[in-house]
Amino acid sequence: MGPGGEAILGGGIVNLARLLWVFFRVGLMNELAYRANFYVQFVQSLLDLGVALGSLGVVFAHTDNLNGWLPAELVALLGVYFLMSGLIGTLIQPSMQRFMEDVRQGTLDFTLTKPEDAQVLVSISEVRIWRLVDVLQGGIVLLLALMQIGTRTGLGEVLIFGVALIAGGTIVYSFWLILATFSFWFVRVENILVIFQSMYEAGRWPIGIYPRWLKMALTFLVPIAFAVTVPAEALVGRLTGEVLVGAIGLAVGMLAVARLFWKWGVKQYSGASA
Amino acid sequence: MKGLVDIYATLFKTDLAVQFQYRAAMVIWLIGLVVQPVIYLVVWSTVAESQGGEVGGFTGADFAAYYIAMMVANHLTFTWVMFEFEYRVRTGAFSPLLLQPLHPIHRDIATNVAYKVMTLVVIVPVTGLLIWIFAPRFELQGWAVALSVPALVLAFFTRFLVEWSLALAAFWTTRVNALNQVYFAAMLFLAGRIAPLELMPGWVQTLANVLPFRWMLAFPVELFLGRLTVEEAVHGLCMQAVGLTLALILISLVWGRGAKRYSAVGS
Amino acid sequence: MCTFVLDCTGYRANKVRILTREENGAAMSEGLAIAVDGLSKEYVVPVREGGLAAALASLVRRRTRTVEAVREISFGVEPGEMVGFLGPNGAGKTTSLKMLSGLLHPSAGEVRVLGHVPFRREREFLRQITLVMGNRNQLVWDIPVLDSFERNRAIYRIGRGEYRETLAELTELLDLEELLSKPVRNLSLGERMKCEIGVALLHRPRILFLDEPTIGLDVTMQRRIRAFIAEYNQRYGATVLLTSHYMADVEALCRRVVVIHHGRLLFDGDLASLVQRFSPHKTIVVDLEGGGVDLSGYGEVVECEEGRVALRVPKADTARVTGLLLSELPVLDLTVEDPPIEEVIEQVFAQEEQM
Repeated sequence: MGPGGEAILGGGIVNLARLLWVFFRVGLMNELAYRANFYVQFVQSLLDLGVALGSLGVVFAHTDNLNGWLPAELVALLGVYFLMSGLIGTLIQPSMQRFMEDVRQGTLDFTLTKPEDAQVLVSISEVRIWRLVDVLQGGIVLLLALMQIGTRTGLGEVLIFGVALIAGGTIVYSFWLILATFSFWFVRVENILVIFQSMYEAGRWPIGIYPRWLKMALTFLVPIAFAVTVPAEALVGRLTGEVLVGAIGLAVGMLAVARLFWKWGVKQYSGASA
Repeated sequence: MKGLVDIYATLFKTDLAVQFQYRAAMVIWLIGLVVQPVIYLVVWSTVAESQGGEVGGFTGADFAAYYIAMMVANHLTFTWVMFEFEYRVRTGAFSPLLLQPLHPIHRDIATNVAYKVMTLVVIVPVTGLLIWIFAPRFELQGWAVALSVPALVLAFFTRFLVEWSLALAAFWTTRVNALNQVYFAAMLFLAGRIAPLELMPGWVQTLANVLPFRWMLAFPVELFLGRLTVEEAVHGLCMQAVGLTLALILISLVWGRGAKRYSAVGS
Repeated sequence: MCTFVLDCTGYRANKVRILTREENGAAMSEGLAIAVDGLSKEYVVPVREGGLAAALASLVRRRTRTVEAVREISFGVEPGEMVGFLGPNGAGKTTSLKMLSGLLHPSAGEVRVLGHVPFRREREFLRQITLVMGNRNQLVWDIPVLDSFERNRAIYRIGRGEYRETLAELTELLDLEELLSKPVRNLSLGERMKCEIGVALLHRPRILFLDEPTIGLDVTMQRRIRAFIAEYNQRYGATVLLTSHYMADVEALCRRVVVIHHGRLLFDGDLASLVQRFSPHKTIVVDLEGGGVDLSGYGEVVECEEGRVALRVPKADTARVTGLLLSELPVLDLTVEDPPIEEVIEQVFAQEEQM
């Protein structure tokens, strides 16, 4: 596999967890000093939630189901939306942005001379602790919605939800990494990430409602379907086996592609000829 | 006055040149502008379907027409001054602007209009594409379409002034994001972006009529689509005039204090 | 003057290969910390003239030009040595350093650092080296310095006890006591540099790659940092490779100097020999009683003020001119000096230009 290419599995995961914990703890200690940021984030997240619930409210004043989804189920979808949004905003987004900045400034050289897998270092380099508020908020909304839905969610569904969530998160991470890797060759790649963020909002609604071409785009082009709709489907009992398998397969596949592309990018960056 | 026209012409030219450099970023920005109306278009069409083809007087095709018009209107009236200001205050880029014998707002208006002109190249085909995809139903009336032009212009200026005043908050706090969010939330609900105002609960509609948000965005759209009677149209134009006047008052109040504060605190 | 392997075909054929024990040049013996042989680096850059026609043409056919950043340099460094890479901007110093630290793949040649091939970036190798760049920070901007230290501790897997010890030593040597709790953005340039060096040394690397570490700093801080590096080298026997375009850095720290210009190694040896070889002149400074005498007959008058005259004479003539001055003039004081090193280096580069 090449230098530093020890398998991510096994010892790699323990090491990853160890590093993640250290970076996280350092970030946390510091942010705690800026409690005001917490309140600001709290207010903003709440506002986001209010807007989202409000729009649901308006819609459900005129109908009682959206493409088969009941109000409580859409609220659950919203919960997953915020959960995923929080995860992306806490770790994936800031780290990838930091990485692209590093390439531009030439400070990536420091990362490349460290005795740890560079992809790992780059992926956890920056943690925005306060975005965890979104995760918390999403979790609460999700729980409340599930209580409303009642009987249909058992332990099995929760486990599958967990798997779907991890798969979704992996797909989003791989997507971001692949895009960010382009910054080895192109300078203004951050702009492309803005596309993701604008399109992410489409995840607040079940992707089944979108016309086919948009559905395809939101599944394979910008992987919002797998990030939000699929895990939510797992919880409300709508997930088919094949979609779940598809999600897992895509997650593994994209992670592999992202890793290979990354390694190739680093090689090119360090001027390895052919 | 002639001097002002000259100034605008020059600012305009340089802005076009500068923005052309960032054309990739502009196109990407546009995607964001297009996505939101499309999402709601689809959502409401789905609702209409589930209710037998129509909801609140809107069919799927009506929703398509509404949201495509809304997208264009939003594009033509939106600003990004609050982000610009936050940047300016943070980096001290505002100081040179204050030293010029020209009110900074003219610069921002020029940049804004230049951007809209540049992006026409993209907006027109995108609108065409959306029309082709979503098959909207337009039942336009000549007088309404004609009146919607001044309505749009009034809306543009009112919205610009309001958002510019809002942007000045950057002089007092660094946490402008939270403030902007409140504003955007209000715009979402009260300016007809989440749903056409006709579909909103009664109290929201009352609120929308009293507050300026409807007149900054929803009204020109409703007028254009021919959904208003003549009286409503005239009433709306008057409300817009009132709104513009209030916005002018607001901005002169805030600007005076803001400039003073900025010089007091330093960059 | 392309007498070596780097013509087009040669470049493609001459892939970098791992040295086996059998193959060795004098430079590749086992005891060296750093062994470099025929190291070269080329870049292919697109060539395009201005104008619309050229822009369109470049879409159809890409014209390129090869830049030879480093051309066949060879040298060896013993463990614990301090070597200074001297050269003007764009000479290839930083490129060479990057190849030694594994950041760049060489185009040709062999390089071994501590027995490893750098660009393979093996963990064992990376654990023993460190990189400090004068104009870039690895410290995290918004958090206190100590937290950046903590992150590196985790990355290099330094044991707690060892970390505490090393931290205490570095804090003392670099005077970091008050800086550790401040966010990096609140530090001055000099303070930041001290912390940068500190964080880079936490894992007690055996080799230090320092790329322009004193750039932009005031004179006092430059001296402090030089003193620290010298001290560190003494204490821990770490090998130090330093690039700089400040003569003062090299003068103060490195007995051994490698001069690089246009990618070529022009000189490798100690400073004194550098002066010897490249400077054909000496300066005689004479204090005359009474002053105001025209000495242009004895040599080139470089400076003349208030009875003190500085004469530049060819080295070979030094003894003769000195004798003449002493016998023919009322000399109060006379010294024979080497020209300032800056001049010597400039000479070296000037000669190189002419080649």
